[in-house]
Formats: sequence, C-alpha cells, structure tokens
Amino acid sequence: MSQYDSYYGSGGGGGGGGGFLQGGSPFSQTGSPGGTQRSEASMSMRPITTNQFQKTEQPHGDAPWSLEGIEIGHVTVVGQVISMQQHTTNHIYNIEDGFGRVEARHWVGTTGNTEAEIEKWSGIEEGIYVRVSGFLKSFGNKKYINASYMRPVTDFNEVDFHFLECATVTMMLERGTPHSARAGGQKTVGAGSSAYQVNNAMDTQDEYSSLAPLQQQIIRFLVSQDNKDGVHVGVIARALGKADLDAEKLSSALDALLDSGHLFNTIDENHFALSR
Amino acid sequence: MSEHLSPRVNSARLPNFVGKTVRLPCKVISFNGPSAKVQASDGGEVTVVLGAGMDIQDTFVEIVGTVTDPTTIKTMACINMGDKLDLKLTNDTIEMMYDPRFTKIFF
Repeated sequence: MSQYDSYYGSGGGGGGGGGFLQGGSPFSQTGSPGGTQRSEASMSMRPITTNQFQKTEQPHGDAPWSLEGIEIGHVTVVGQVISMQQHTTNHIYNIEDGFGRVEARHWVGTTGNTEAEIEKWSGIEEGIYVRVSGFLKSFGNKKYINASYMRPVTDFNEVDFHFLECATVTMMLERGTPHSARAGGQKTVGAGSSAYQVNNAMDTQDEYSSLAPLQQQIIRFLVSQDNKDGVHVGVIARALGKADLDAEKLSSALDALLDSGHLFNTIDENHFALSR
Repeated sequence: MSEHLSPRVNSARLPNFVGKTVRLPCKVISFNGPSAKVQASDGGEVTVVLGAGMDIQDTFVEIVGTVTDPTTIKTMACINMGDKLDLKLTNDTIEMMYDPRFTKIFF
C-alpha cells in the first residue's frame, strides 16, 4: 500500500501546484543545493507508458525530472523487449509497449553480488514482455531508464493492469484522489485518530470512501488502533459492536479487504493489520 | 510519436489501421495452413497470416503485425500469453486507450 500512498502524496504536491517550482528552481542554486527541492515524488514510483516517457523533461542536469509539470521519481514500464545488447559493463534493452519505445540500461555489477545479479537478469530474452523499474537518466540528448529491476511478465493481465494503472495515476495526479473534497487536496488520512471513531466514520472522505460501509468501519477502527502487530477479529467484532453484525458478514468483509489488499494477516489468520 | 507505434487493437479498430502495425491480443480458434483464425478481444474473428518460425503455443497470444485488410493481419511476431487472459479486461483497456479523455497518455 505504501506505493499508493506515494501516489496520493505526490498528487497533493503536484496537482495542487505546490512544492515543485519548475520555473524558479534553476536559479536557486546558491540557496539550497538539492535537498529542499526534493519532494516525496522523487522517492515514489510512477507507472508510465512509453509515450509518457517520451514526454518527460529535465530542465537542466541537476533538476528533477517531470512529466507535464509533475515531478517524477522512479518509473515502471511494462513492454516487450525488442532487442538487447549485452556489453561487459552494461546491458541495453529496447522496450516497446505499442505506443513508443524506451531504452533501459542495466549497469552490471552495481549491487556487489554479480552472480546473483546475473542469475536474476538471466530470464530476460528478446520478444518477451517484461516489467522494468528504475529512474530516468540522460546521456547526451538521449533519455533512458536506469533499470534497477526487470522481470518477465508471466500473467499477461499485468499488461492491461499496467495501462489502467498509468491512466489511474495520471488522472489522480491531475485531479486529486476520487472523493477528495479539494482537487489535489491534503491527505486526510491520519489527520487525527479521533476522526476515526466508528460513529462518524462515514463522514470522512478519503481513499477508503468507496468501500462498502462495513468494510469502511473495519478500516477506520484499525486506523484508530494503529497496531502493526494486527488486531484480533474478536476485538474488531466487539468494537463494531452491532447487534445485527453476524460472523459471516464480518468475515466476508474481512476477506474482501484482504483480497483488495487493504488488510493483511499478521501472526495468524485471525489477526489483521492495515497495509499502509 | 509515429515511430515504433504498434497500438493494441480489437477487431473493431482494424479498419482504422490498414497498412499500419498493430498488436492484437486474441484467442486462437483454428489453424488453416499458413494462417490461423483468432478471436479478438471484442469477439470479432480475424485471420492472421503466419510467417516462418512463428510459434503459437498458448490459448491466448498477441499478434504483432501489419493490417492488410480490416479482417486480416500479416504477422511479424507472436507473443504467447498463456491460457489465462481476461479478454474482456483487455477489450475494456483497449477501448479506454482510444477514449479522448485518455488518449494523451497513450498517443
């Protein structure tokens, strides 16, 4: 869930036109060397299409990369390996997703454990679909992805997933999260645990607002507990404490939350914690 | 960006791409000598003309090739996509790509 939080977080900064001053930053070199300009976005991973990759820009050598005015850190792309060239120090992969082409470079031997690294990258062949992640780099006038991770796609629904995720994230960065009162507004989650008492839970508008009422109540109770080791299902049931709450409904709501990735089991299958 | 363009399509989109390169995620129905009949994600049947060394193994494949007429694709490459692919999801994704609200992300 943390990666999604990053999306939401960067949505606040970028969408609202806050932190990242595209025009101003090149001239503030004397004041703040790097540091203060680096936002949350530079540490987050954004799924992009190769077409979006073509549109990324870097105003000057030390500036953060941006895509349509929104700062961009790490990126992840899904596409087909069209060609690969293996040199001693680096491997070059040309990857297409149907909308353009990106070059991904992997510098060999950067992790210190070369054998494990070779093993990890050995599954990559020409013609297959891969997911590649890394940060943007340029050399001369050429942009490439400095790949830190690449693996073959084995479930091909991932290809569709990737395109849909690209669209979702782009929309979210432009317009803010669904249901957020202000476009690109602040992150309302965790604004204070008292806001998450079960009674007024339904008034809160955030990333969980689209869930079914019972699921929301469970989430908001767990947010208020803030217990990383997990909360027992019995405690959840007592906290929601409704007469009409039968065990079956509760367990199917919990299952749904597990399936959607909002929760995970901790010490055993009766303990639940929030994935965030 | 016309360079390296091979957009994903369903059968309904093929008439717009005659002479162009496309990617057609599809389900293989039957083989007929040097060609095969496939079902595109929107359910339409498409004939794909295979070349030498094309290796269709799986139930679902992605055909990369040139559209010769609205129901025929001359294959340049074939990617095996296993036997579990949600073609409806694929089709919805394809339709989204051509939705004016989203085209700037893809084209």
